[in-house]
Order: sequence, then structure tokens, then C-alpha cells
Amino acid sequence: MDLTRLPNDKKLQLCRWYFKVGCLLLPFVWAVNAVWFFKEAFMKPPYDEQKQIKKYVVMSAAGAAAWVAVLAVWVTVFQLQRVAWGPTGDSLSFIVPLGRA
Amino acid sequence: MASCRYQVLLLILCTSTLVYAERLHEQIYSSIEGGAACFRRLNGTHQAGCSSADNGAVGVVHMIKEINDAQWLVQNASAGPYMAVVSTAQFYDVIEIFMQQPANVAGILLYDNATDSPTAFSQESRCPNEYSSAPGNTCSSTVAGGIVWNTKGTGLLRRNIPFPIFYLPQSKSDEIDKIQVCYEKFNLDKSNQKGNPLCSLQLNSFMFAAVNSEVCLRRSASSALLTPTKVCDPLGDNNVYYSLFPRTEETKSSKSVTLVTARIDTASLFDGVSPGAASSVVGMVTLLTAATTLSQLIPAKDAKLHEQNVLWTLFNGEAFDYIGSQRVAYDISKGVWPAAAPLSPADIRLHVEIGQIGGALSNSNDSSWPFHAFVPYSNIIPEINEFLDMMTSNAKPYNTPVITPEFTTNLPPSSLHSFRRILKNVTESGELPEVLLVDHSNTFSNLFYQSALDEYGKIRFNYKNLTISDTGVFVSTDALLANGTLKEGDPQVKIARLATALARTLYQTVTGTAYSGNITASAHLVDEMLYCFLQSQACRLIMAADYASSSGGESPPAVPAPLYVGVAAWAATAPVFAAHLLALLTGAQLPANRTVCDTLAEPGYSYYWLRGWNHSGVCIQTTMNMSAAVSPAFAITDYDLSSGMYSSWTESVWQAMSARVFVSAGGGGAGAAAGAGVAATLLAAALTYWLHRHADRIFATPAASIVNDDAASGILRTVNC
Repeated sequence: MDLTRLPNDKKLQLCRWYFKVGCLLLPFVWAVNAVWFFKEAFMKPPYDEQKQIKKYVVMSAAGAAAWVAVLAVWVTVFQLQRVAWGPTGDSLSFIVPLGRA
Repeated sequence: MASCRYQVLLLILCTSTLVYAERLHEQIYSSIEGGAACFRRLNGTHQAGCSSADNGAVGVVHMIKEINDAQWLVQNASAGPYMAVVSTAQFYDVIEIFMQQPANVAGILLYDNATDSPTAFSQESRCPNEYSSAPGNTCSSTVAGGIVWNTKGTGLLRRNIPFPIFYLPQSKSDEIDKIQVCYEKFNLDKSNQKGNPLCSLQLNSFMFAAVNSEVCLRRSASSALLTPTKVCDPLGDNNVYYSLFPRTEETKSSKSVTLVTARIDTASLFDGVSPGAASSVVGMVTLLTAATTLSQLIPAKDAKLHEQNVLWTLFNGEAFDYIGSQRVAYDISKGVWPAAAPLSPADIRLHVEIGQIGGALSNSNDSSWPFHAFVPYSNIIPEINEFLDMMTSNAKPYNTPVITPEFTTNLPPSSLHSFRRILKNVTESGELPEVLLVDHSNTFSNLFYQSALDEYGKIRFNYKNLTISDTGVFVSTDALLANGTLKEGDPQVKIARLATALARTLYQTVTGTAYSGNITASAHLVDEMLYCFLQSQACRLIMAADYASSSGGESPPAVPAPLYVGVAAWAATAPVFAAHLLALLTGAQLPANRTVCDTLAEPGYSYYWLRGWNHSGVCIQTTMNMSAAVSPAFAITDYDLSSGMYSSWTESVWQAMSARVFVSAGGGGAGAAAGAGVAATLLAAALTYWLHRHADRIFATPAASIVNDDAASGILRTVNC
């Protein structure tokens, strides 16, 4: 979909919609939202809805970043501690590596 | 029509590419056939044995002719990692060098050389089953000094080996010649290896399990969605037992039992190679022969006349912390073994274990075969003294065996350890007296204990290939000695003499009077039995003792049945052979056809429809039976595998084992290809950039309508939305 062809109120609606969907534990939607509407929020000449779009873009970006941080920490901890956790580590694993701890 | 032509063309193209690819593969690699790989086993706390990486271990071939070669490999070699190609004679000297500095070692290819055979070769610990020993054991594999049973043991069977090891038997010496040729062509210039094409080996033996039994069993049990993979199985198989007289719930209390035991299994580091001649087979054959002889001395119908019974038992899995005997001792302590008429410790008058007795057969050519009877009591136990006296007097006519008693609680590896741990109260006090017969005192006389080289030649066995009559009558030892077929020093004769002495001793125990007849164990039977277990399962005895129903199939392979206990999920053939031999040789032959035979059900007996001596089928009534030789560790729910109380060995699962030799490129070609690739990419980028800048020189200025924004975005819109 080409945002440049969309009227401004539709843009806001779309941006808000993406933000709301992202609230359903879908950080990737937030990330898409932030990237997609970044130009609209910060680079286009000002228009009425831009302030709200900016708000959603910032919140989406912050949410996605928070998710990334949390996931990165979890992945790091899991990879480093899986063996030490023993049975818990194995039951948390989807694919248990063969031939090593 | 046209499309059809294209299809044909495509087909030709595809097949030709395939064929070519195969040829190219064959041109590069030459596979090494007939090798046996070291694999991984795990116990409650550790992993032991070898594994390669997932895609195999690759290393430059280096033939180890002396210790210096091994030292050069780990310290000075530059084109590493390396595959050490070592003969069995060199192995003991170099293995510790590789184990201490494994960084430059990709793996080891071990080969057996006919002209250069080792004087000792054992991958078992210096103190086998040390951690399942009963109190009083002083053998320590870690502390120097003291009595060590297996002096030349490397202990690799119980250690984690950081690289794969493959073993090539003597029969595969042509593969070694192939590697030698390749090695001499490419690798001889040791100082100038780096950067040149080198003869290399790839060993692939990737093991699925890791860490310890607890972890691998847990991972085998958890069925994740994507990986329902079993990574390890508990070791185990079957114990075999047979009583002279039938034992039922009603009659068992009236008779006390002499328990005579030996073991079936042996082990080695390598998959499928566990000959175990001196380690276990001589003991097992002695037991089977003695049981056969005793059944001839005392007919089963005399059961009511006697107050005593004899229970012959063959344990399996003894190599791995006494799996079979631990289970039996545990079951006796719980009052559930044997299943039909459980024994209580008080029923057992005496436990005689025929331990490792084959080692001394390699030493002497005469009729001498010295024995040591280990008696773990300081006070006098009348049953044991009586037994040893009777053995000595029954052996007098032949001067074999001469038994030297050893009064010590430091017992050689044997099932006595299991009984003394699990039935501690009765065994230590002497209520359940135990005695162990072995052929050594302080150290094993068998220098190939549980190794790939513990073969029939090591006990000087030479098969005589005599025919057995249709009625299953064996030529007597005396007749064979008289006609010169066998000599006094042959293992067949020695084992038959020992079995005779043992059978007569047990006769005396059961009947209360010394045997006065002239029935002896036949060296002919021993000859056949040794051949079956050491050289070929396609032998007369096993053919006769097999199920008649399986006669339609092909005869078993002309190789010995593996004596490694294997995993509990698969029944190994060796114990089944031993069980059927017991049934055929000691059981009563009934005049019944197959249908009748299958319906018979007298308590205390079981019935087998076996092929028989003339292969026409025979109904055998026997007291022989089998029981699970699976460690109590796997039978007790919520057992803590790391507790070390019971054997906790498991074996890893693997997918493929393979070895191949090839010439690895020196790296020059790969470097040139990479360089050319980089240059081409840079050139293309520069060219594109130049074309982009100077497009107007090549292309005429485009018409205005084409670059119309509206049209372009119109196209984009239709594409995108």
C-alpha cells in the first residue's frame, strides 16, 4: 500500500490500528508500524494528524525496542544457562541438541 | 512433441549429471570398509567412549611407528589436526600422549597387525567395576600401588575420549595398505606439510547422547514436537538359569540349593567386536559342560531321592557394573527370583562363581591349569572347605585343577561383589557362603581382558571339527586323547576335566556319596561349544539347539555371536544360544510332536520345540528359564541414577559409522578461487558504477511519457495493492 496515496485521516487510522494490533503481544507489528510511518511522522511537512501519528510511531518504536531488549536478554540467559538449568532447560527447549550437553 | 523432446533432453541431462557426480565422489573418496567404531556409553554421572562431530572428524593421516611420531604429532605438527594410524602393538604406549594433548588429534585409526601383535591389550580399567565393588576391595585405579587386577588396562572403556577411534581387524589389512600407499605418496615430507595436498582420513561416528544416563534418558523420554528422537537406551539383556531338579512353589522349601554361576558377556571399546575368549567364554563353557555332565550323572527323575538341588546361572551384563548379578541379588532380596519359585538367601547352601579362568590357558602347553579360590571369610566356613576338598579329590585322577585358596575380601571382579553388596547381611556373615574360582591370584593372567583381541587364539583353541552322532552322543575325552585328536594340553581337554571335577563335586553334594561311575565331560562337546561361541554361530550345536520353527530361514552367519550385553530393548543372540544349549543338552527329550509339545505344561518345567541333532524337530522338557538382566536402577521407580548404588549404564544411539580416506587439497586452489571471486565482484561493481554514471553515452535520452510519475505510480499501485 502506498502511503502517499492515502488521505491523512486514513493514515492516522492505519497507524493507530497497527499500534493496537501490536498490543496483542505482536512486537513485530509495532516495528513495522514504526518504520512504515517514520517518514510520515517526522519528515513530512506538518499536517493535522501528524502529531497523533508521531505519538503512535514513538510508542510503537519504544514498545518494539523494549521487546527486543527483553527477548535479547532472555535468549542470552537461556543460551548461557540452559545446561545449568538441567531438566528445566530441556523442557524449555524445542530442539534439544544431539551429542552435547 | 517439442515438450516431449525437452523432457527427454532433461532426463538425459539429469542422469548424466548424477552419474558424473557419483564418479567424482568416488574419485575423491575411498571408503574404509570393515572398521568397528568406538561408541559412547553413559553411566549415572559421566559419559564414556567416543564420538565424532556431527559431520565426521577429518585429519591428516600420520602413521605412528614409534612413540616419537606421536610426540611429533601433538607437539610439532603444523598441518593439523591429524588422524593417527596406530597398530595395536603401539597403542598402549601412545594413547596417553593423545589423551593428554588432544588438541591436534582428530581421531585414531587402530589396526591389528599379524606380524606385530601386542603382548597386552585391554581398554578396561585397571580395576574393572571398581565402583560397584563390595567393601573390602582394595584395588584402586587412581591410587598408585597395591593390588591391581588389570595392570595393562588403559581404562578407555570408562573414560570420555575426545576424538573418534576406529578399529580395523587383521582381516582388513588391505585397507591399511591403501592408507599406507596414500600416506607415502603425499605426507612423507613432515617439515613441508602445510599448504600441500595431504592424504587425509574422515571418521564419522556421531553419538546422539551426552552428559550422563539421567540426561539422555530424560531427553529420550521427552517427545518434543520436532524431535521425538531416542538418544540412549539402558544396557541389559537376559540371565539364563537352569536347575538340576525342577523347582516349584511346593517343592522348593524341601531342598537347599547350590548356586553355580558364571557370566555370558564381555565387552570391548568397539562396536560388534567382543570375542571375550579368556574373559568370559571359557567360564561359560565350563558351566554349560559341567551342567550337562551333572544332568547325566543324576537323572531328573531321581529328584525325590535327594535333599539338594543345583541352580546353574549365567549372568549377563557383568562387564558393566554387574548388571545381571545385581538384578538377581536385588530380586532375591525382594523374594522374586526365580519367578516360578523364588529363592530366599537361606535356601542357598553355597554360591560358587566360575570367574575369569581362561587367561592361564594361553600360558602353558601342558596339562597344568592352576586355580585360585577366593574365599572372602576369615573364619572357617564348612561348606566352602568341603567344596574345595571335594574339587581337589575329584580332580586327582587328572592333576587338574590344583586349587590354591586365597582368604581375602579383596575379590577379583565377579558377581560376588553384587551379592556381597546387596545381600550384605547374609553373605558377610557366611550364612550365604560364597567362593570364587579364577585362574590368577593378584593380577589377571589374561592380558587381553575384555578387548577386541581376546580371541580364540589367545586360549590356544584349535577347532577339531568332529561330527556329532544323530542321537547327540559326543566322543569321550579319553577316546579323543587315545586316538591323538586332542592332547592333554589342549583347552578342550582342560575344560572338560574341570567340568568333570565340578560335576562330580556337585554330585557328591547332592547325593552325599562320591561318584563311582565313569561318566566324564566330553572334550568333544567343549570343542563344539568353544567353536560356537568363539568362531562361528553356524555351528552344529547352535543349529541343533535353535528353534525348529526358524529352520526355514538361512543359517546364521559364520561369525561368533557378539557377547557384548547390548541394549535392553534388543535381545542378544548369545544368551539365547546358551539357554537353548542348556535345554538341549540337559533337558529330557519327550516323544511328542510339535502340537502336543506346545500344550505341555507341567509345573517347574518349560517345553521347547527345538531342531534337534538330526534337524527333524524335538520336544525338550527343561527347567531352563531366562530372567531380565536389566539393572535394578531401571526397575526401581524414582531411582536416583547418580547414587551409584546400581549399574546405570546406557548406550548412545547413533545413525551411521563410516570411515574414508581422501587427498585433501593444499588450499592453493581454494585461495585462487576466492581471489578470483573477489576480483570479479569488484570489477563488476566498478563497471556498473561507470555505466550508471555514463548511461547517456550509451542510451538515447528516454521519451518523456515513459518517466511520467503518474503512470509509474499507477503501475506500482496495481502491483502492490
